[in-house]
Amino acid sequence: MTRLAAALLVAGGLAVQQGPATHVLIVSGLSGEPQYATAFHAVATQVFDAARSRWGVSDSSLIYLAEDPAGDPARIRGKATRDELASAFGRLTRRSQPGDLVVVLLLGHGSGQGAESRLSLPGPDPSAADFVEWMKPLAGRTTVLVNAASGSGDFVAAVGGPDRLVITATKSAFERNESVFAEIFAKGLTGEADADKDGRVSMLEAFQYARREVAKHYESKGLLQTEHALLSDSTLARTVALETSAAPSDPRVAGLIAERRSLEAQVDALRRKKATMDSVAYEHELERLLLLLAEKTAAIKAIQEGKP
Amino acid sequence: MPVRIVAMVLALGMTGSRMPAGQVAQSPAARVMALAETGRLADAERMARDGGAALLVPLGEVLALQGKLAAADSVLAVVARGSGPEQRTAAAALAELAARRGDFPGARRLVDGLTASYERDGDRWPARDRVAAGRAYAVLASGDAEAARAALSAFDAAIAADGGLLEPRLRTGDLFLDHYNAPDAEASYQEVLARAPENARALLGMARVQQFQGNPHAFETVQRSLRVNPALVSALVLEGELFLDAEAHDSAAALGHRVLAVDSSALGGWALIGATAFLGGDSAGFRKASTGARRFHPRPAAFFAMIAEWTARHRRYAESVQLAREGVTVDPESSEALGVLGMNELRIGAMDSGRAHLDRAFARDPFHVWYKNTLDLLDEMAKFRTITAGRFQIVAPAGQADLLSMYLAPLLEEAYDTLVARYEYRPPTPVRIELYGRHADFSVRTAGLTGLGALGVSFGTVLAMDAPSARDAGDFNWGSTAWHELTHTFTLGLSGHKVPRWFSEGLSVVEERRARPGWGAGPSLAFLAAFKGDKLLAMNRLNEGFVRPSHPSEIQFSYYQASLVCQMIEEQWGRTALVAMLRAYGDGLDTPGVFQRVLGVSEVELGRRFVNWFRQRFAGPLQGVEAWDGRSAPKGEFVTLLHEAGGSLQAGRPEEARPKLERAAAMFPQYTGEGAPLVLLADIRARAGDRKGAADLLERYNAVDESSWEPNQREAELREQLQDWSGARKVLERMIWISPGEPTLHERLAVAAEHLGDHRTALRERRAVLAVGPADVSEARYQLARAMLAAGDPVGARREVLQVLENAPGFEKAQALLLELANRRPEGGP
Repeated sequence: MTRLAAALLVAGGLAVQQGPATHVLIVSGLSGEPQYATAFHAVATQVFDAARSRWGVSDSSLIYLAEDPAGDPARIRGKATRDELASAFGRLTRRSQPGDLVVVLLLGHGSGQGAESRLSLPGPDPSAADFVEWMKPLAGRTTVLVNAASGSGDFVAAVGGPDRLVITATKSAFERNESVFAEIFAKGLTGEADADKDGRVSMLEAFQYARREVAKHYESKGLLQTEHALLSDSTLARTVALETSAAPSDPRVAGLIAERRSLEAQVDALRRKKATMDSVAYEHELERLLLLLAEKTAAIKAIQEGKP
Repeated sequence: MPVRIVAMVLALGMTGSRMPAGQVAQSPAARVMALAETGRLADAERMARDGGAALLVPLGEVLALQGKLAAADSVLAVVARGSGPEQRTAAAALAELAARRGDFPGARRLVDGLTASYERDGDRWPARDRVAAGRAYAVLASGDAEAARAALSAFDAAIAADGGLLEPRLRTGDLFLDHYNAPDAEASYQEVLARAPENARALLGMARVQQFQGNPHAFETVQRSLRVNPALVSALVLEGELFLDAEAHDSAAALGHRVLAVDSSALGGWALIGATAFLGGDSAGFRKASTGARRFHPRPAAFFAMIAEWTARHRRYAESVQLAREGVTVDPESSEALGVLGMNELRIGAMDSGRAHLDRAFARDPFHVWYKNTLDLLDEMAKFRTITAGRFQIVAPAGQADLLSMYLAPLLEEAYDTLVARYEYRPPTPVRIELYGRHADFSVRTAGLTGLGALGVSFGTVLAMDAPSARDAGDFNWGSTAWHELTHTFTLGLSGHKVPRWFSEGLSVVEERRARPGWGAGPSLAFLAAFKGDKLLAMNRLNEGFVRPSHPSEIQFSYYQASLVCQMIEEQWGRTALVAMLRAYGDGLDTPGVFQRVLGVSEVELGRRFVNWFRQRFAGPLQGVEAWDGRSAPKGEFVTLLHEAGGSLQAGRPEEARPKLERAAAMFPQYTGEGAPLVLLADIRARAGDRKGAADLLERYNAVDESSWEPNQREAELREQLQDWSGARKVLERMIWISPGEPTLHERLAVAAEHLGDHRTALRERRAVLAVGPADVSEARYQLARAMLAAGDPVGARREVLQVLENAPGFEKAQALLLELANRRPEGGP
């Protein structure tokens, strides 16, 4: 991933920098069969817990709607109906400020095509057009809609827009077979996809991880791949990232983390000059910066382990 | 592989062919037809001649069936010039004769006249004339989709006009089959057989369908056809071809002579005689056959194409290329010759030339599925990677090439050196080995079609096989498969590609067994029962088990039996006898001759010795099994013990099962089938908390089963739990040859090796993790850097960790390693 200055990143939980807040809405639709209900809930739980413990999402900004609210009352806020969904968007609109990050994750089965692509919920199914309407008041926020349902591909064209990132499990409404994207994407988003090991997973990293691992899943089983994930805007996806670990409470650590991020940004700047630099000089400078980085990390660890 | 013998799929154009065999034919023409269809051609000719002008067309067709082409031409021309009811049938038969002689302009002239007329007012034609129109279109149908469709349509129209006619159904079947559409062809022949169960041509069609589909019953079906009509030339040729496949050359040559006795102009007959002469090294005989073919055909490319194809089926690919090239020389437009040339050039590694010839063949015969499949595969192979390693070129899908070559290259080098010592022969290098990630692709590469059951094939110095990813873990061992195929490179090369199938396969299995403990086929319960029931093939019929198995297990039996025969020969006559036998085959001797020259015994005597040898060697297991009756599942004490033990286990009484399983394991320790006693005993031990005992039992089992994924997996886990790193390393190394695509397998092996201080293995395995394509590349590369450092390569470790951090500067473990490396480095060091 191309590194960006820390200020550009929307990351929850930075104790010393009151940055933009993150809001998360998880919707688990009609399952149809118990095995799907279990699978959807497992994914939702994984994302819910990461949002609460690592992304710094406050309880009032974390909404989980599901087919059966009684299944996990500690997490599930309400029934996943079209009306509840509309209300949840309203709440998030009121709770959030321009510049905040709003992440919406849809799980379940899809139907329809184009603007009439739908997510199957108890009662009336919301369409892509409904999501467009609900997301309009979120203008100014960075909005990420991850439709991990089968047959979700048409959401990219129907819902995508400025400051709005759409990720779908499939490339079209016709890929309606059982999908493994949700499980893999959630695993990536909550940590596994951190390819550059910077402690944050960007949406691009999560998407690329999911796309790669979904392909491997089918290849390893000798099956024809029946789902191909889509992303509406890779530039935006690169800039939206979520933390993989909880924010530090010690201001010395937070300071060192900030210094470390500055060094990471320098590495990134150096790397972009690589093609124009003498290779020895490049390697020398790279190693110097990396050693400085390593020293910062060692200092952080020393503080965390109570060493002087 | 069936060679298309369109010209010889005979034109038994009796348009009255509608009566089931056995019914009394009433009209004189029908009586002539009935005689012809039962092979009494001379009688048929006599009767037709006696019938005068009314029977000229049947006479012409009967003359054509006997290869009396000029006479047939004259008779048919008389009718074709007239305006009688059979004028169109005569014209169609004349067109077929012209095409058969290679006079395509003449054939086209006749066809054009007939088809133009049919297109004008064919809807008013009677059924007989519609058949004639179909025959005319069919003359042009090779490579011409429109003509083929028009022919089918005309035959359909004939059936619509007279639903009882068999002739258009038979011709529809032939047309489908000539265009590689076996299912539709089969349906047409079945329609005929439903009305006339003993119709010789329909039975022949079914035999061709079966041959096309690789069904071993083709031989029985064609023999049924010949029992009805012993003079059916195409059936005789097919039977000869099937004899050739079984390397029964004498029988094939006899069939060739029978063909020519019926029809001296039949290219198939000349080809059978030419092929047996060629394969037997009789160059004068081959020249004579070639001259015979040329006498009846100005450009007998099909003669060369057929022999080239059959020669390739004898694994003599380079000679096949030469023959096919001769076919292309006599007729550069022959799709058959171009196709056989292209396919076999690909088999000897001449990829560019092979592709070019296949392209030309496909342009002329766009229906040919082998050409199409192979050309599609070549397009796909453009995405493959070729890794040159020592004496080998490893060609594999790009994403798998690094991983596979990491293990395969050293294994093949070891195999090459081992086999050079064993066979005192050094094949030319590089040897090319292609691995296919999809079994269908391997099948197309080998046979042009999907559905091949084999795992690998050796064309000499070009090998092809399934990559491990082509099958589920536990289906096969890709290491032993590669070793097996490379052994063929030696046995084929040493014998000038004249080694018979049974001996080549037998030696390959022997070499597998010598390569690693547990590799290569072992005895199955069914094999022992078949031996006891005298159901194994005799020495002189061993080849048939490979090409024409009489029951589904016979191929596997044949591999194992052949390997045991080779093993016995080595034990009793020494390794050099095997080498001398290969050389003797190279000298052109047949199997009895080779036995006599090298071993000094007859085939019968060798067979007797084998039976005694086997009885001694497997005395224990043989006691536990009853003679197989050829139908039901094996029985005997061993089976009873397994059954009873299974019942006890199901009832939750492992202590009751244990002694039975122990007795069964002692009786037949090599048993690897369902409910293997060693595996069940291991399970009992593990449940009782005896992990070491369980692991040891599994080790015994894994030492006799080359592809046991689950038992190896369980043994590995137990060894890891016991911290028996040496044992774990051994098991995990074995598992790589079963399924190397699991990143965790390599991680575990790296860990085991690290515990043992085996840095070389650890390093290889860390590289393997990367080659598999791990989800977390940075972590894998970090571990590789650590392994490099442990292996005494701090410079490499630094390089690796810098690359890791260049992409993932925040990676804390890598940062720590970089610091560690920096602290180790002397001031001013690299």
